[in-house]
Amino acid sequence: MNRWKKEKTATIKPYKRPTLSGDGFGGRFGYFVARAITNIRQNIFVNVVTVGTITIALLIVSLFLLVFINLEGAVENWSERVQVTVYFDKELTTSEQSVFRDKILALPGALRVGYVSRDEALKRFKNRLRGQETLLEGVRSDVLPSSFEIALKRASRETESVETFVSALKRIPGITEVQYGEEWVRRFNSFLSFVRLMGVLVGGFLVIAVLFIVSNTIKLTIYARRDELEVMALVGATRFFIKAPFLLEGLLQGLAGSTISIALLFGLYEGFLHNADSFLTFNPVTSGLGFLPLEYIVGIFVSGAVLGFVGSFTSLRRFINV
Amino acid sequence: MIQLHNVSMAYQQDASALNNVNLKIGKGEFVFLTGPSGAGKTTLLRLLYGALAPNRGQVLIDGQNISRLPASQIPYLRRSVGVVFQDFKLLQNRTVFENVAITLEVLGWGKADIGKKVMHILKQMGIESKYSLTPQRLSGGEQQRVALARALVNDPKILLADEPTGNLDDANKNQILSIFKEANVRGTTVVVATHDRRLIEQSHKRLVVLNKGEIVEQMEKGKNGDDQAL
Repeated sequence: MNRWKKEKTATIKPYKRPTLSGDGFGGRFGYFVARAITNIRQNIFVNVVTVGTITIALLIVSLFLLVFINLEGAVENWSERVQVTVYFDKELTTSEQSVFRDKILALPGALRVGYVSRDEALKRFKNRLRGQETLLEGVRSDVLPSSFEIALKRASRETESVETFVSALKRIPGITEVQYGEEWVRRFNSFLSFVRLMGVLVGGFLVIAVLFIVSNTIKLTIYARRDELEVMALVGATRFFIKAPFLLEGLLQGLAGSTISIALLFGLYEGFLHNADSFLTFNPVTSGLGFLPLEYIVGIFVSGAVLGFVGSFTSLRRFINV
Repeated sequence: MIQLHNVSMAYQQDASALNNVNLKIGKGEFVFLTGPSGAGKTTLLRLLYGALAPNRGQVLIDGQNISRLPASQIPYLRRSVGVVFQDFKLLQNRTVFENVAITLEVLGWGKADIGKKVMHILKQMGIESKYSLTPQRLSGGEQQRVALARALVNDPKILLADEPTGNLDDANKNQILSIFKEANVRGTTVVVATHDRRLIEQSHKRLVVLNKGEIVEQMEKGKNGDDQAL
């Protein structure tokens, strides 16, 4: 509803006023934006402190995110090694192969199936013993088993899922011997859970610390300007009218803080982290750290804005009951 | 214009700031509230601009009971009540002009009108040349005149003042007093809380004496200065 109409219906008759150049929501919004910008100019020190705090806070959190995401990505890549192998003591015919392949792929969790013939197995064995081929003299391929190597979908690489998969596999007629490195899978998965738990704990702790520091900084900066709130209330400003410029200011501070922190993070990344592969070889496939994905960057912008806005909102609530 | 019926007000359970106060102030009247510190002068003024609600009794402004006014309505009450204080309550990081303009910005006036009206009132107060200065560069008297300009710029029906001359020398007191009188002549009801005897004696206006939260004496001062008890 138009503010002026609202005033007309108010119990206390408002004062008549001359031309209403800043009327309607648009006009008022224009006034609030102008007021917020003037406020920033007139309280430059307080604004620098707030933006600086938000910047540092978001920089700490986003730096943590960058490292954590890369670490988790690297660890997840190791899980490619979770593999289930089915052994056969004879060579399978092509039709047998495709029957098994279809049955295995029909199981939930199966990602890829590769057949390893006896000759292929011998070739790999020889490769592994390169330089000591004499050891294999006289060994023929029929002493080695043929096998299916099964890669699992990402979601099925946890200990229980692997076990479920293996027992389903064993129910297929003709499959007797299955190996999947139980111990390795178990250890790998507990390591992965540990990494995630540490991430959540450290990240959660950081977020709480950051929220605490930012909200208190905003509270102090608004406290420093409580006379402004008091005077506005004294001359008959509605709560909304008092709050709006402060909220816009908070929003702008949050956006400025997040922009600067992302710029700083990118600077740090370009300067040091992107070629950190020499001492942080997490991931042999991609090598080096990746920058934050786009959705995280957008997330940091949004959380900066939300931080500034909500921080101002909650602080104002405490001071406006004049 | 202003009526208080059996108004009682206590900040804590034991200390009562106002006790069963009845007071009527007519439209266009000029009234001094006086009494020792802690008599309840400030509390009474705070009731009149909605900063406090009484524990008991009714406060009527223009026939409307404001003692039970919802918080959302208080701003509209304050638009017709100007208030000044001993410590001026000016915003130190804004210019004189901006300090006065706040009142009209709140009402939604356009920029051009604000400019004209603010310069007009600053001229009346004799401080138009200082419009671009911040308050800390002004004397106490000038600051109080800025505060008065802010309170009077939208021609309020009521002007309330809490020890307005407490920080001023005699020359400035007289100037401030004459501004009150001018505003009163133009139809604004004026209520000034002060314990400055000289100010009261000079101005020959109605006097309400408070002590320990009660009205102990009321006098209508005639032109010749004779006390006329009501």
